[in-house]
Amino acid sequence: MPGTPDLVVETTGLRKAFRTRRGRKVVAVDGLDLAVPAGGVHGFLGPNGSGKTTTIRMLLGLARPSTGSMALFGEPVPRRLPQVMGRVGAVVEQPKFVPAFTGRKNLTLLAHAVGVPTKAVDTALAQVGLTGRERERYKGYSLGMKQRLAIAATLLKAPDLLILDEPTNGLDPAGIRDIRTMIRELGESGVTVLLSSHILAEVQQVCHSVSIIGNGRLLASGAVDDLVGEQQVRQVRVGVADPGAAQRALQGTRWRVTRDRDRLVVEGAERPEDITRALAGHEIYVRELTPVRADLESVFLQLTRDTSLHRSGPVDRRADDADDTVEGGAA
Amino acid sequence: MRLLRVEVSRFFSRRAVVLLVLGAALLTGLLAGSRIWDTRPVSATDLAEARAQVAEQLAQPGFQRELRTCRDDPATFFGPGATAADCDANLVPTPANYLNRATLDLAEERRGNGTALVVLVAALMVIVGTTYAGGDWHTGSISNQLLFEPRRTRVWATKAAVALVGCGVVAAVLLAAFWTALALVARSRGIPTEPEAVTQILWESGRGVALAAAGGLGGFALTMLLRHTVGTLALLFAYAAGGEALLALLPVDGSARFSPTYNVFAWIRDGVRVYDQSLACTPSQGPTCDQRLTITLLDGATYLGVLLLVTLVVSALLFRRRDVP
Repeated sequence: MPGTPDLVVETTGLRKAFRTRRGRKVVAVDGLDLAVPAGGVHGFLGPNGSGKTTTIRMLLGLARPSTGSMALFGEPVPRRLPQVMGRVGAVVEQPKFVPAFTGRKNLTLLAHAVGVPTKAVDTALAQVGLTGRERERYKGYSLGMKQRLAIAATLLKAPDLLILDEPTNGLDPAGIRDIRTMIRELGESGVTVLLSSHILAEVQQVCHSVSIIGNGRLLASGAVDDLVGEQQVRQVRVGVADPGAAQRALQGTRWRVTRDRDRLVVEGAERPEDITRALAGHEIYVRELTPVRADLESVFLQLTRDTSLHRSGPVDRRADDADDTVEGGAA
Repeated sequence: MRLLRVEVSRFFSRRAVVLLVLGAALLTGLLAGSRIWDTRPVSATDLAEARAQVAEQLAQPGFQRELRTCRDDPATFFGPGATAADCDANLVPTPANYLNRATLDLAEERRGNGTALVVLVAALMVIVGTTYAGGDWHTGSISNQLLFEPRRTRVWATKAAVALVGCGVVAAVLLAAFWTALALVARSRGIPTEPEAVTQILWESGRGVALAAAGGLGGFALTMLLRHTVGTLALLFAYAAGGEALLALLPVDGSARFSPTYNVFAWIRDGVRVYDQSLACTPSQGPTCDQRLTITLLDGATYLGVLLLVTLVVSALLFRRRDVP
């Protein structure tokens, strides 16, 4: 598939199915259409077992798709992966280095494999704050240090596309802030960052655009503000003296009205003033009218609610909801 | 070339590999040392001790009684025509009887300890190749490597080349050190070595180096296939031990031809002649029935070569196709 030139990552009808050791068929990714434009930070969201890591692994050539096509920088992969891999840095799941080697030795071996000079190793280590600890053995590193080393490895190639799968796992609050700042800066410097995370607040803080997947399918994609904005106009919190009476008064409307302690939450009203008018018609007067400020979490939960209800069946979406690990070979 | 340098560095940086190579060097040194010690020239002290033991033996009344009996009737001891001199020659002890000291004969060493050393080094190189590949899978660093060099065939081939050459070089150094040490000691003791023996040692060592290199490569390839060091070693053990047991049960004539052990020895020793119980003897053959089977160098090479080739092809193909965790 010749990819679209202005898309850095593109998948069409991507599917990955395999059998577990017990012979059960699992569809990890099911016809995924993903498009990541160049530049900025793009969030890749989905519940555990939704196929995020499998998708990333297929993009990077670590797993073979069953069907569908993929492209990086417009080049079809995995066929043209060797040509584009020099522009891609990636951390997939946990950092994976040789425990007996020092952090520096691990990076130096990777750097030399692609002709990156040793000087770049020191620069990358400094970027992630590992200077001074680089001569310690990797097995002695804390989880946060391991994560930093993995990010340093991605920076060795000065990538145009950075794929980060849960990059702040195991980091302390200061480390999380540092990495977020680094991701934001990289995104602003022209590097495209594909950030897979389940920390929705993190994604909302850092990402410009987002793709949400569930059960291996794309559920929504677009700018974070647009997705959140769509949700924002639909819910209004209403404060009245008698919430019960107000709920009864609004029963005849096409809005969805729910009680939230001593307030009502009205969903589906085009404009908040429509609610005021409707209640005033029943001589109920509003003393508080607050549009519910939707965040990415509520969008995410709304979108993934339905898909999570349909997980079991003769063909499982995931063998294990706890992770995205691919088992066995291509189906 | 870049990748090759990186893999060489990775190979010799792996602690398990370094420990195994050091272990192989230590065992080689111990074997050479023990042979040099066991064949050391007789010292004046050794000779004095031996003479004292001879004197002690001669002084024993029982011995003197037996010697007298023999001298009185040598034929009873050594058959018709025997003389009293035969009794002295055969019964009277000499210091040499108590020294029990062999001479350092390189031709003899080749037949015994030389072969043992080749087997030992080759076995250790199989483990080296296995642990070299197994480490990548155990730590998961193979996926990291593929993120930098996604051409899997190239990655596999580079690692295979390093396993082959690395194990070959280590084996060559160890075998050369062993034979050089023995040859120098033999020369210093004034023991001549036939040129033919030297040629045989060179050929056998060459085949030993090839076996160790192929063993390292085979161990590597099998581990890349199974993705597990212990799994590979268990399979190899099961094949070596279970294979022999299975062959013994097979109702096939000449089943020893497929024995891994015999084929390895056939390769090292330029062919072997082995007893094969599966060779049927007809009653008409009677005692003339020969149940020995010759496995030539070519047989051994073919057997081991086919095994290695199949392992390499399957390993490389599946590494290209399968998902990497």
